[in-house]
Amino acid sequence: MSAVPALHGPDALPLRALLWVLACLVGAVALHIDRLPAWISLTALAFVVSRYALQLREVSFPGSWVRAILALGLLLAVVAQFHTFGGLAAGSALLICMSAVKLLETHTRRDALVIVASSLFLMLSACLDRQSLLRTPLYVAETWLTCAALGVLSAPHAHLSARTAFLIAGRGFLFGAPVSVALFLFFPRIQGQIWALPAGQTAVTGLSDEMSPGAISQLSEVDDPAFRVRFLGHTPAPQDLYWRGPVLHSFDGYTWRRDQLVNYRQEHLDFLGLPIVYRITLEPHQRNWLFSLDTAIGAPNSSVLLTFDSQLIAIQPVTQVISYELTSHVATRSLDPLSINARRYDTQLPGNRNPRSIALGQRLITQAGSTEALIKLVLDYFRRDGFEYTLTPPKLDLDSIDDFLFNTKRGFCGHFASAFVTLMRAAGVPARVVTGYQGGEWNPIGGYYIVRQSDAHAWAEVWIDGRGWQRVDPTAVVAPERLLRAASELAANDEQAGFRMFANLGFLSRLRLGWDAANTWWHDKVLDFNMRAQLSLLEKMGFRSPSPRHLGWLLAAGLTLWLGWLAWQLGRNFRPKRGDALAQAYRRLCKELSRYAPPRAAHEGPTDYARRLSLEATQGAERFLPLLMRYAALRFGSHSTGAARRRLVQQTRWWRLRALRAAPHGRSLGCAIGIIDEGGRSTSILGLQAVTIDQIVQRRARDAE
Amino acid sequence: MPLQLRRSRIYILPTRTGLGFAGLLIVMLIAGLNYANSLALVGTFSLMSFALVAMNLCHRNLLGVRITSATTLSAFAGDDAVVELTLDNDTSLDRYSLTAAVSGRKAEVIALGSNESARLRLAVTTQRRGRLKLERVRIDTDFPFGLFRAWVWLHLPLQITVYPRARGERRTPPGAAGRDPDQGSAQIGVDEWIGLRPFRDGDSPRQVDWKAYARAHPLLVKEYRGGASETLQFDLSQTPGVALDRRLEQLALWVCDAEARGARYGLMLAARAIPQDRGAAHRHRCLEALALYGLPPVSAL
Repeated sequence: MSAVPALHGPDALPLRALLWVLACLVGAVALHIDRLPAWISLTALAFVVSRYALQLREVSFPGSWVRAILALGLLLAVVAQFHTFGGLAAGSALLICMSAVKLLETHTRRDALVIVASSLFLMLSACLDRQSLLRTPLYVAETWLTCAALGVLSAPHAHLSARTAFLIAGRGFLFGAPVSVALFLFFPRIQGQIWALPAGQTAVTGLSDEMSPGAISQLSEVDDPAFRVRFLGHTPAPQDLYWRGPVLHSFDGYTWRRDQLVNYRQEHLDFLGLPIVYRITLEPHQRNWLFSLDTAIGAPNSSVLLTFDSQLIAIQPVTQVISYELTSHVATRSLDPLSINARRYDTQLPGNRNPRSIALGQRLITQAGSTEALIKLVLDYFRRDGFEYTLTPPKLDLDSIDDFLFNTKRGFCGHFASAFVTLMRAAGVPARVVTGYQGGEWNPIGGYYIVRQSDAHAWAEVWIDGRGWQRVDPTAVVAPERLLRAASELAANDEQAGFRMFANLGFLSRLRLGWDAANTWWHDKVLDFNMRAQLSLLEKMGFRSPSPRHLGWLLAAGLTLWLGWLAWQLGRNFRPKRGDALAQAYRRLCKELSRYAPPRAAHEGPTDYARRLSLEATQGAERFLPLLMRYAALRFGSHSTGAARRRLVQQTRWWRLRALRAAPHGRSLGCAIGIIDEGGRSTSILGLQAVTIDQIVQRRARDAE
Repeated sequence: MPLQLRRSRIYILPTRTGLGFAGLLIVMLIAGLNYANSLALVGTFSLMSFALVAMNLCHRNLLGVRITSATTLSAFAGDDAVVELTLDNDTSLDRYSLTAAVSGRKAEVIALGSNESARLRLAVTTQRRGRLKLERVRIDTDFPFGLFRAWVWLHLPLQITVYPRARGERRTPPGAAGRDPDQGSAQIGVDEWIGLRPFRDGDSPRQVDWKAYARAHPLLVKEYRGGASETLQFDLSQTPGVALDRRLEQLALWVCDAEARGARYGLMLAARAIPQDRGAAHRHRCLEALALYGLPPVSAL
């Protein structure tokens, strides 16, 4: 083990600069605290503290062998944790660990810059992973800190105070703000990804594509938002807000599943009623499906499929917040017959399970005669036969439908949908379970609905010949209050009612809704700002057929203007003090006079200068000398009045000086030159050939009056 | 003089740090565009505009600084000569991290507050005697963020006299001593104290009685018998050796020794004679004559 002493050369990092670097790294690690295992943050912290201690105590640093072993150990630990180097989480963890080890050999400014750069990289990876409004101030703070650290590192021995460093960096961002905004608005975005982000190992929340009501004894009421919906035109009635998710077809008597590979040709659909256009902002749920209002007429884009059972399936799992626009109808009709295969698929039941339920279904169809009548019979059965809606149902045995229908009779939406579909299929009627969400909370501040995990729901769809697939919600029969609750919250279709409701809300609810609206705004206007939004912005600005080329023009023009403004603004800040108007007049005069003779030397006062000019100057200078003497009198004499000063300022405007220069000779020779004090005595008379004593006497006489 | 640094003189280019920063920004931009991640793009664009502002701030850190004087200090060949620049900041803006360089050697980094002036000392490597003409001096800064370096070339009419290296025999040649006979045989180094006399221009600061001066006396000079009255005459033709440079070096050593002893000395260089005298100015005149002997007027660096 070799030991390297701490560096003491001229390049060595002073303690203050080191502290800045450590702060950058700690800030960057802090952004990852909730994404990565705790040991990574703790390791980084341990390295930061020991680096600081090494600097303070001037102990020798660990040798290259120790560092190599530490780096290798951490590398293996990261592999053991993530089983890969790919992916944001593993990459960030690795970068944190390697930066931490790098601290042990950070002696010079160059090493420090490496740490600063990796802090910025870590911030980027945090940005790619999490973009919530709440975290944004943290990103801003870290960026500011990093740039201030750059400032400190560029002048490591200047002892910049933290305040100065932050001020200078802040000024950098402030002056840059206009162009940041312009770049954000007009920098052309690309559509679609060139390469995709590997999926993270995040816990899955929300719906699954399996449903086993019998296995659940307590349905948790999670209030996390699943998605938000903004209706762009007509808003549907609250009881029609059925948000379609996975459609489940296959049943083993206990669990409903979705078969990935099964696909049929979709029957032709007639869409009834008004089209409903809306925009859904979906929280990441790590699954492939998207939600739509009942039946969507098409997929939002080419990377999403609309399946035969009107479900939206994305090619990639939803790992980030995404937004998409859809058009739906809440009522459809299909005049086609159901294909034989599809009919067989949606009527199959496991023959050895739930014998009593199958028998009941078969009995009911003979009683009812038609599908519509059968539905009515089954719903009546649910309503009358002592069924109860509960979120804490008893667990069911393997013949789950039998157990539920004839034994426990207590359950939630999944139980009722599952039992209903089983009875339908037993009666030979094609039916399927649809899972998704029902209802939503109206946010009057943002003007959109929030659909939460607690709004998860399951209902049934039944094939009726001549009408096609029709929605039946057995839970609504048993627990109308469940829908009523949603309906009362949804009573806010018009804005007036919305605000009335808002006024009735408690402070906390208002705060919650306001925060949710701010988040949604953040997502819609900032995070989801893409090429389409850019083009529509151009359209609003008056471009008739906007294209990315226009973006480039605007950007170039904006950048040029801004650079000009910046140069002017920065140059203006420190020009020497110009002095008062009189001093400026004097400066202009001296500048003019420097055309005729060597310029006024620093030690020359106005009278000395005038004397020198009268001796050395070429033809033409003498006409300015009265002005020069007037300046001396106004500046140093006792006759200085505001009006006289203003007059001199006026007379020394550049165009007046120029006119004087261009005037024919002799015009100004009549001016008296001299400083005349109150007593009328001449205190300074110049030896200027052009001035006669008579003129001075005349001037004196005039002044005496 | 004074010379004000104006826009047209200032050059600016990104530093290696700046290029690294640009690389980082490109990676961030590609990542942000690819993942359509607006937050990463906001960060990237902020940092981009920040870098552009940094460029302007760096440029401004030099803009308007005035060079009010540039002086040179002579040195013996092989030693470092010094160029001293006085930088003056008469603006309301604090300047940081200013430095200068001449032929690759850098001065220390200084900060220049508002309405302050400061001195930059630049060491210049010398190799052989003669007049050293400085081609150009660079003043530069990478403040505020080290992303850009702005610099100015100053073409100053600076010349440094490089004395011959002082080396050779310490013993003065027998013919050089022209002592006053009634002074006896005062030996070198064993000087007899005579008394104090008022300071005259040209007196060596080493002979000033600083302690007395500190006690609020006027500047007084200590006079010693031995050295003070010793007179020496050095002649190039009487120096041993063949090589001209070696002989000049020998003379330089004798001049230095004589001055250090406080002796009066004169110099004979072929046609040129420098009469006997002493003091810093005299020493410089002698050494300069040695430096330039037999050389064309100016040798470029």
